[in-house]
Amino acid sequence: MTWSATARGAHQPDNTAFTQQRLPAWQPLLSASIALPLFFCAGLAFIGLGLGLYYSSNGIKELEYDYTGDSGTGNCSVCAAAGQGRAPPPPCSCAWYFSLPELFQGPVYLYYELTNFYQNNRRYSVSRDDAQLSGLPSALRHPVNECAPYQLSAAGLPIAPCGAIANSLFNDSFSLWHQRLPGGLYVEVPLDRSGIAWWTDYHVKFRNPPLVNGSLALAFQGTAPPPNWRRPVYELSPDPNNTGFINQDFVVWMRTAALPTFRKLYARIRQGNYSAGLPRGAYRVNITYNYPVRAFGGHKLLIFSSISWMGGKNPFLGIAYLVVGSLCILTGFVMLIVYIRYQDQDDDYEE
Amino acid sequence: PDCSRLILLSFPQCAGEENWVDSRTIYVGHREPPPGAEAYIPQRYPDNRIVSSKYTFWNFIPKNLFEQFRRVANFYFLIIFLVQLIIDTPTSPVTSGLPLFFVITVTAIKQGYEDWLRHKADNAMNQCPVHFIQHGKLVRKQSRKLRVGDIVMVKEDETFPCDLIFLSSNRGDGTCHVTTASLDGESSHKTHYAVQDTKGFHTEEDIGGLHATIESGASGSLETDFMPLGSENLLLRGATLKNTEKIFGVAIYTGMETKMALNYQSKSQKRSAVEKSMNAFLIVYLCILISKALINTVLKYVWQSEPFRDEPWYNQKTESERQRNLFLRAFTDFLAFMVLFNYIIPVSMYVTVEMQKFLGSYFITWDEDMFDEETGEGPLVNTSDLNEELGQVEYIFTDKTGTLTENNMEFKECCIEGHVYVPHVICNGQVLPESSGIDMIDSSPSVNGREREELFFRALCLCHTVQVKDNDSVDGPRKSPDGGASCVYISSSPDEVALVEGVQRLGFTYLRLKDNYMELLNRENHVERYVHLALRWKRQVLCVLPQFIRARVERNAVEGLRTLCVAYKRLIQEEYEGICKLLQAAKVALQDREKKLAEAYEQIEKDLILLGATAVEDRLQEKAADTIEALQKAGIKVWVLTGDKMETAAATCYACKLFRRNTQLLELTTKRIEEQSLHDVLFELSKTVLRHSGSLTRDNFSGLSADMQDYGLIIDGAALSLIMKPREDGSSSNYRELFLEICRSCSAVLCCRMAPLQKAQIVKLIKFSKEHPITLAVGDGANDVSMILEAHVGIGVIGKEGRQAARNSDYAIPKFKHLKKMLLVHGHFYYIRISELVQYFFYKNVCFIFPQFLYQFFCGFSQQTLYDTAYLTLYNISFTSLPILLYSLMEQHIGIDVLKRDPTLYRDVAKNALLRWRVFIYWTLLGLFDALVFFFGAYFMFENTTVTSNGQIFGNWTFGTLVFTVMVFTVTLKLALDTHYWTWINHFVIWGSLLFYVVFSLLWGGVIWPFLNYQRMYYVFIQMLSSGPAWLAIVLLVTISLLPDVLKKVLCRQLWPTATERVQNGCAQPRDRDSEFTPLASLQSPGYQSTCPSAAWYSSRSQQVTLAAWKGKVSVEPPPALSGSRHHCSSSPSHSCPGSRVQLLV
Repeated sequence: MTWSATARGAHQPDNTAFTQQRLPAWQPLLSASIALPLFFCAGLAFIGLGLGLYYSSNGIKELEYDYTGDSGTGNCSVCAAAGQGRAPPPPCSCAWYFSLPELFQGPVYLYYELTNFYQNNRRYSVSRDDAQLSGLPSALRHPVNECAPYQLSAAGLPIAPCGAIANSLFNDSFSLWHQRLPGGLYVEVPLDRSGIAWWTDYHVKFRNPPLVNGSLALAFQGTAPPPNWRRPVYELSPDPNNTGFINQDFVVWMRTAALPTFRKLYARIRQGNYSAGLPRGAYRVNITYNYPVRAFGGHKLLIFSSISWMGGKNPFLGIAYLVVGSLCILTGFVMLIVYIRYQDQDDDYEE
Repeated sequence: PDCSRLILLSFPQCAGEENWVDSRTIYVGHREPPPGAEAYIPQRYPDNRIVSSKYTFWNFIPKNLFEQFRRVANFYFLIIFLVQLIIDTPTSPVTSGLPLFFVITVTAIKQGYEDWLRHKADNAMNQCPVHFIQHGKLVRKQSRKLRVGDIVMVKEDETFPCDLIFLSSNRGDGTCHVTTASLDGESSHKTHYAVQDTKGFHTEEDIGGLHATIESGASGSLETDFMPLGSENLLLRGATLKNTEKIFGVAIYTGMETKMALNYQSKSQKRSAVEKSMNAFLIVYLCILISKALINTVLKYVWQSEPFRDEPWYNQKTESERQRNLFLRAFTDFLAFMVLFNYIIPVSMYVTVEMQKFLGSYFITWDEDMFDEETGEGPLVNTSDLNEELGQVEYIFTDKTGTLTENNMEFKECCIEGHVYVPHVICNGQVLPESSGIDMIDSSPSVNGREREELFFRALCLCHTVQVKDNDSVDGPRKSPDGGASCVYISSSPDEVALVEGVQRLGFTYLRLKDNYMELLNRENHVERYVHLALRWKRQVLCVLPQFIRARVERNAVEGLRTLCVAYKRLIQEEYEGICKLLQAAKVALQDREKKLAEAYEQIEKDLILLGATAVEDRLQEKAADTIEALQKAGIKVWVLTGDKMETAAATCYACKLFRRNTQLLELTTKRIEEQSLHDVLFELSKTVLRHSGSLTRDNFSGLSADMQDYGLIIDGAALSLIMKPREDGSSSNYRELFLEICRSCSAVLCCRMAPLQKAQIVKLIKFSKEHPITLAVGDGANDVSMILEAHVGIGVIGKEGRQAARNSDYAIPKFKHLKKMLLVHGHFYYIRISELVQYFFYKNVCFIFPQFLYQFFCGFSQQTLYDTAYLTLYNISFTSLPILLYSLMEQHIGIDVLKRDPTLYRDVAKNALLRWRVFIYWTLLGLFDALVFFFGAYFMFENTTVTSNGQIFGNWTFGTLVFTVMVFTVTLKLALDTHYWTWINHFVIWGSLLFYVVFSLLWGGVIWPFLNYQRMYYVFIQMLSSGPAWLAIVLLVTISLLPDVLKKVLCRQLWPTATERVQNGCAQPRDRDSEFTPLASLQSPGYQSTCPSAAWYSSRSQQVTLAAWKGKVSVEPPPALSGSRHHCSSSPSHSCPGSRVQLLV
């Protein structure tokens, strides 16, 4: 090897497939001959899926009742009128009567729905202290500034849980009563209030502050409850696994909704005789009417819904799949016509 | 010599170079003037350091930051970042600060690296050793330490370290030879003269003792005892000393004040057309951004006008918020919306574009096809900012000598009477007539023929201006091929060198010019001596060529050879003396000197006897014709700008197929303008051209290319300056417009007799014409630097001598032929890649931000973000950045070979085709559509229902994550749809980037991050994936989003395929396409030649035989006078030349 040859080698670029831009490559083309079968296949698959989804969504039953209490809509209007303009509104209860002509296939879930409630308002949704909610003692005493004006009580005590979200905790409560026979006694239907929050939220993300002398109340000593609350946080439930920050209702509420109309899970009905669903008969829902919604033009609804593998009733997905599938087939046909006609032209052109 | 003598020299200010020559007084060798002279005022001059770097180690950070924030985009992001820091905004400052930091850092690293390279180059230049004279002794110092007034010694083949006044040389006559190849591209040797008074100072001691003062500048009141100096005394930095052992000179301009450095500084920042459209798009997006923010602000206050919405009981304001001024609040809201939507302007686009350009440019330097084995040089990329501009070129301005041709003349053959001699078929010094393929009149040369033959060779051997350089060193640039005579020929005319060398191979060796005798070595190894007649003139002479030689000459001319006819005349002593007298009389005549000289020549040049003809090849660069043809097919107009004569240049143009046989040539030359007025000529030409193009518009509609009949324009420098000169009445643009009109209709233009500045002027003229075409200038010499700098893209051919052009260019290539791959392949690719990059970036940011905008309508215009902070930050810098970067580096929509084979594909991307507003709007609309699909798809999914089988409800972050997931998949798959070239890297990056998103989301949501003060993403992604409908929704929404684009692609490909797509489909072979677009095709049609008027021009050209060199000499033996005639150009063989003009030189 001569000197000049090595010197040239030093300057000469590497002859690799990469540097010469000649890497082996797959070069697909989106031509009609590929796209056509693709469209037809996708179309058929989508239509099939869409039909399945549509029917499974149609099989889901929903029963809803607006208990806001607009005048003349039931006995909750009394409560609504009583609470008008008073903060906090006085305790009031009302009831919703309904009857099921046939079995309401279970498992049945009880939701409440609020409308026109902007949980996704930025000022609202940042108004919380995740550190406090995870049981950090220092955060308990010193809530973050985002919580203002629900950061410190009038007395200057830190609010626990701080922030607007916690302060506006939904505090209506429901109980369901079943009358098996006309004129018979109403039997309370057991509502399973556990497992309504995300498992991870309930078990990991939300934690109570460390107990002081075995008492949760002492742990929260020196804090004030949110101004709208009637009870301090450690008295939300007598069940020690469901009180404080790990109260399921509270955890559910703290997961802010995406849209101004939202549902939240209240309870599952799956115990005893009701595990298969709500049997035929008359029902009464006793409502403790506390939560004021008329001030912001909102509504409160109560919903019984059954659940399938795909969740609640939502025809959107099925319809969308059907529409897209049909569109695929339609455009497939259009393209087929274009393709055939073009082929002819192309042949002419070639000739 | 009298060392103490005070020599006063004055250096006049050259016109037009005001910025160069200032007023200065220089004391040679730093000797102060003797007492009594006017007070000595020390002047400060810069040292001889050349600085091309921008930064130093210390000022890099502040200066670079300042430079970077001068870019509008960076400044904009800085402002956004500051706004986020100051006011309460929906997103944390990290979301814009981190990308900005990333962008700034990457850019700074790149610029720092580039500047480091510049530092290295500067240092190499500044540290090269220079010889000084100090106190009569020779001292070696670094070049940068040179100061004005220093006496410098330069040896042969060294370059001058600064601008010098030439004091003396070791030659007795005080001259030196200099080539300025690296300055102006002229490789010829120029003679410079030492200052008369100092030329006797030969030794270091002498020169060290010199007392002299140099005055220069505008003072005007120079004293009379100052000796004027001229440019012949000035040696410029960058020029090289040749053929002179050593010289002494005094530095008068150093460092950045040298002419070369001053010329450097005109280099300005070039911006590509893509960058311009990018900025235009950016402004559109800025407007969209501001209007979005304004709309939302207004709507927010309209919506909030009802107090229960502004401040419902569950969401009270703090006291300070309530008391804030309404306008201040509105303004903060506006800013907050701006911050929320600011991602629509893709911060990472700039850094991606920059990285793409920087990394992408390596493919040029790596390209093996553009590597020249001979010189061991590969292409250079001096700026990567213009990669994509290579795909947009509409005009190419090319230099001729050294660019199109090799500037390396070679003697091909000579033809004497009936015999053709080819130098390389010589065996053992025996000349063999070439036997094959040539019909000879007489196959056995008679004695008379032999005598003629020798006469011919002697004539060639003597009639030239070649200097002989004695060859001590082994490798000279022009070593004679047979090692017997070791001498190197040097001449300002490469043709002459070629001839002398050729004759040497035929047995006659020119030895030297000594004491006015020329010596040559004949075949019998006898030295013959001839009197050297220093007579030289150039004239055109009419001659009649005999049949055979004429045919031969024409044949050679068609092949692009430079032909020369040699003729002689025998003079007896009396005649010779008479002629000498006549010439002498004419030369000293005070009046009508020209005329008298002409008359004298007329007398001498009568009754010449033709000996034969030679053919010299200025070899075209390899594949030059092929390259030009390809470029023209690609729709690029090629202009040749040269300082050469029209005939020579035209011949080259024919040879390299710039002009074809059916090209109709239009002349706009001084000669024609002398005959007619400029006005008339221009109007006549434009009429010709426009008439034709007018009749072609119909054809244009039918899809035929307009250049079926193509025009070639020839213009010379003088005519050009007439056109450019503003007229008295101020309507200067009139001619220019007309001229441009003509130029636009010509497929090829040849500009000859161009000064370097005129080259730039032409480029500028085209650059700023109505359509603002993209121009490219290619050249090899320093005389091309001005146009290289002026054009949008400047390409330097790495020449044999001087890298000035390569250094000032944006890209440098070893050979002209590499231009083809550079433009047709690399340029095309870069353009495709970057345009997709730009459009895609805007598209994906529309997809990204428009859902946020829509979400405001559902969250009470509260600037709630849809996506988590991490997603906001990482969307552009990691989830979607790598696939597009890789696409923009690797994409090949068509194979390299196809692009090279079918240059017409270049037309598909011409005129910024992929960044037109229509395309931009398509992409934006696609982005809007996709954004609507994402948002409302998710909206209807989440509306009033649960989507899990356990009945639990998702919150707003799941909503955003669903939108985000669909979006990441859609935009990545959209890119996958656009990718035509799937290497394993593409697969890896595209699928890897999706996988990365999923893995990141799993991680991000799977852990309680202790450093975060919120845990809103905890398990959100995983919970979403646990829901079947979410999967179905992702599939559905991605499909819907991609559907229109797929549909559009398939339909467009089927119904209105572009040339590119046809080739991709493989249904169109290159064969038809050639005939469709290129003028070449018309060659095949037989009707053309007869109808096309260009043939007429041709024939007139071919008749013009020019005689270039002729030198009379007196000798004892051979006939006393010889003449040569050179025949130039033309390719039409079928015309006789009954009255050719011959140019004579004596």
